[in-house]
Amino acid sequence: MASPIKSLKAKKFLPMLGGRQARFGEGSPDIPSGSDSARAIATALHPVRQYLKVASVTDRGDGCKSYKLVPDTEKGTEKLAYFGAGKYLTVFEHIGGMPLTRAYSISSSPRNSLEGFYELTIKKVDGGLMSNYILSEWKEGTAVEVSAPSGNFEYQPLRDASTVICLAGGSGITPFVSMANAVNDGDEDFNLVLLYGSRNPGSILFRDELEALEKQCSKIKIVHVLSDTPDDEMPAGSEKGFITAELIKKYAPANEDYSVFICGPQQMYEFLEKETAKLGIERKFIRREMFGELHNPGSQPDYPSDVPENVSITVTIQDETKTVTGKSCDSVMQILEKNGIAVPARCRSGECGFCHSHLLSGDVYIPPQLDYRRLADKQFGCIHPCCSFPLSDLVLNVPAAR
Amino acid sequence: MKKYDVIVIGAGNGGLAAAATCAKAGLSTLLLERHNIPGGSASSFVRGRFEFEPSLHELSGIGTPEEKGSVEEQFDRMGVKVNWCKHNSTFRLIVPAKEGDEDSFINENGVRVSVDARMPVGFEAFSRKLDEIVPGSYESAMNAFKLSEDMYTAFGYMEEGENPLGMLKVLKYFPDFMRLTSHTLQEGLDALGMPKKAQDIFNTYWCYMGVPASRFDFLYYLTMQSSYIKFGTGIPQNRSHEMSLAIDKAIRDNGGDIWYNSEVTSVIMKNGKPAGVVVNGSKEVYGERFICNASPRFVWSDLFNKEDVPEFQARMTNARKTAVALTTVYLGMKKTKEELGITDYSVFIAPDRDSDKQFEACQDFFSGYCIINCLNEIIPDCTPPGTSQLFLTSMTFGDAMKDVKPEDYKKFKTKVAKDMIETCEKALNISITPYIEEIEIALPPTFSRYLNTPMGTPYGYMLEMWDSLIPRTIQYEKDQPFDNFLFCGASQERGDGYGCAYHTGEKAAKLTIKAFKEGK
Repeated sequence: MASPIKSLKAKKFLPMLGGRQARFGEGSPDIPSGSDSARAIATALHPVRQYLKVASVTDRGDGCKSYKLVPDTEKGTEKLAYFGAGKYLTVFEHIGGMPLTRAYSISSSPRNSLEGFYELTIKKVDGGLMSNYILSEWKEGTAVEVSAPSGNFEYQPLRDASTVICLAGGSGITPFVSMANAVNDGDEDFNLVLLYGSRNPGSILFRDELEALEKQCSKIKIVHVLSDTPDDEMPAGSEKGFITAELIKKYAPANEDYSVFICGPQQMYEFLEKETAKLGIERKFIRREMFGELHNPGSQPDYPSDVPENVSITVTIQDETKTVTGKSCDSVMQILEKNGIAVPARCRSGECGFCHSHLLSGDVYIPPQLDYRRLADKQFGCIHPCCSFPLSDLVLNVPAAR
Repeated sequence: MKKYDVIVIGAGNGGLAAAATCAKAGLSTLLLERHNIPGGSASSFVRGRFEFEPSLHELSGIGTPEEKGSVEEQFDRMGVKVNWCKHNSTFRLIVPAKEGDEDSFINENGVRVSVDARMPVGFEAFSRKLDEIVPGSYESAMNAFKLSEDMYTAFGYMEEGENPLGMLKVLKYFPDFMRLTSHTLQEGLDALGMPKKAQDIFNTYWCYMGVPASRFDFLYYLTMQSSYIKFGTGIPQNRSHEMSLAIDKAIRDNGGDIWYNSEVTSVIMKNGKPAGVVVNGSKEVYGERFICNASPRFVWSDLFNKEDVPEFQARMTNARKTAVALTTVYLGMKKTKEELGITDYSVFIAPDRDSDKQFEACQDFFSGYCIINCLNEIIPDCTPPGTSQLFLTSMTFGDAMKDVKPEDYKKFKTKVAKDMIETCEKALNISITPYIEEIEIALPPTFSRYLNTPMGTPYGYMLEMWDSLIPRTIQYEKDQPFDNFLFCGASQERGDGYGCAYHTGEKAAKLTIKAFKEGK
């Protein structure tokens, strides 16, 4: 029996070849357009760099200042990238010949970025290279380079509960100020209960702003938690002591799920990890901002012994290879930066993977709580230099800094 | 400054394969990639305690240890070793019933459906199952698979031999080849006498190429589909990032250089031909030959001076239609697949059984079309105990984001994801939303950001009848812009798919190696 396929005509094929060329011939000779709606959104939200300048400085007291940053049109930034409340900007600076980056949560609202500004709020950190530099050097008119808004510390309605208990410590208040404004603006929709830990009323940042937001918006509740304040100086409605499981429960909704978002210094994360474990809520409802840069790897319980104090690192970036030396208590990234070598960096907490590099020889220590590498990275010897500490001399390939 | 034999632009699957093949052949090779990791689509990302597979649904071309598939053979040639996890079923198609459907029924999930087809691996088993669902379809399905085997062999001849010699061999031994390639999938299955309902199930994989049955060529569909059904498929143990890093390693082991975060921002011309590239706007690198994995449209718009763009390339690029764009929702679940009630790796949920109607529906983001995959079905321990990961995929066509402003994008994304999740919840009669621990939503702008293609398409140009596989393959050299500058990747003859991209990379590399051997 003849195959049923023979009913299809075979002669249709040859004209296809000429037909294709004819179709091409009918195409416009203009240079193909490089714009489309997906690319427009991608480039608007994720510019490689944003060139800004300081428009004004607000002293917030307690060694803390806020910087209003606006586009530096002369350098090519026309419009700020919009962002979801909770995101951070990585600031790029050169300090004494040393390329340096730091991630700072945006304290202004997403809507402010449409109005033409971001606000970063920087608090003095003892021995903090970048914070001290910014606090002393950034003035009205200072040119500032930052990344696109980055990070995953955001409210997500499909994942998070409709009430979020936000736990803030010190300058960890910044993403929550942005979130509270976003709730007030109607750009985010959740009940925000802020438990904000400070030493005393004088060290509370954004006190007036937060009070105003609470008054304006029924979805926002602010509770100050003061650790070092005499009874007669306690503001009305504030709590004494530290943020504990008991306190969280006191302000949590009684019979429904709630999320807990945490942002603050590293000691606070360690303390609250234990406290939030007592809440008996599911893991998915507890989210914390990135850990931040880890110092002193030697204090980690699994840090090996007999690590040489000084190490050498041979690093290749594109076609340039250099050998530098540094201290094993510094991260690979810090050693390279101290030697004047710019490394791609965003979060500096092991999470974002932007510094992903190939370790060709040598050993590093990676604190397990900061090891966000992919499985195959471990298989093929890839590391995140921001949270890798040399245990021996190293040879590595690092991508170009961008 | 060193001058390279070959500069490969872009470390997507095509560029990786091209660089690995060139380096293996001893050419001094530089691979340039704008992102900080290799792979383009073939990657992974971590959220909380989950590492997500960003794009690979299943990879055909692995085969068995006795009969290796095309991808596994190519990996052997490149010196690349990957740990495969085998997938021994194909797909389940669920079409929820619409009002007035006469042959609808309640399926095992307790959902009224007009189609629920769970299809096995193997030509015989697949055909038998099809016949069980649509009596009288066995013979037509077996005939289709038989044809696909012939066509696979014929296509191999065509690829092997240099045209027109390869073509003549094909014409001589496989007269049906021309019939199949010049007719649509629908015409072909009609000719084989396959009942319409059976065709609808048979055509489920149309979305892997992004062209529905009335517009896609019969030959390519048959060979593509049978490559999945013949031996089953596989995925790498440690997400596709494993494949990309394995090729990265092979390139470096063979002396090739790879620069990450190194975007080609323009091409340097000399005597009317590419002679070098500028990296990150400032660094010049020179090379003899170039293989380009970047999207042709953006190469012409971004990298070349206006006067250096060949007119034919401009016309060709403008004449072709950008392929489908994707939306993917990645879900880290705080329950196991058993607790969630998920029983299949890959379920295609469609608003209509007909692929053309599915295609029409996908003009809109809220189409009711969604593929749901559960990686734990293939890799049980790909997430921590007590958890699982899902990814949901949908498609859109055209300039779909034009009404969405950057500031509305986050809300829009969430709305699209919610709609897709609810589509799956309804079609499978399961609950997903309360158990989401991690979620990431990738819309066309996300793919645009990472792949840098028009509308973020991972699929290249639409493989319509007039611009289909065989004409593209025969006219491959005509399509290339300069004799020392070849394209590879999804924009080339085979369209999308990891295996296809690897193939085009190797093909461009082989032509490049040959040119060096011939001293051109």
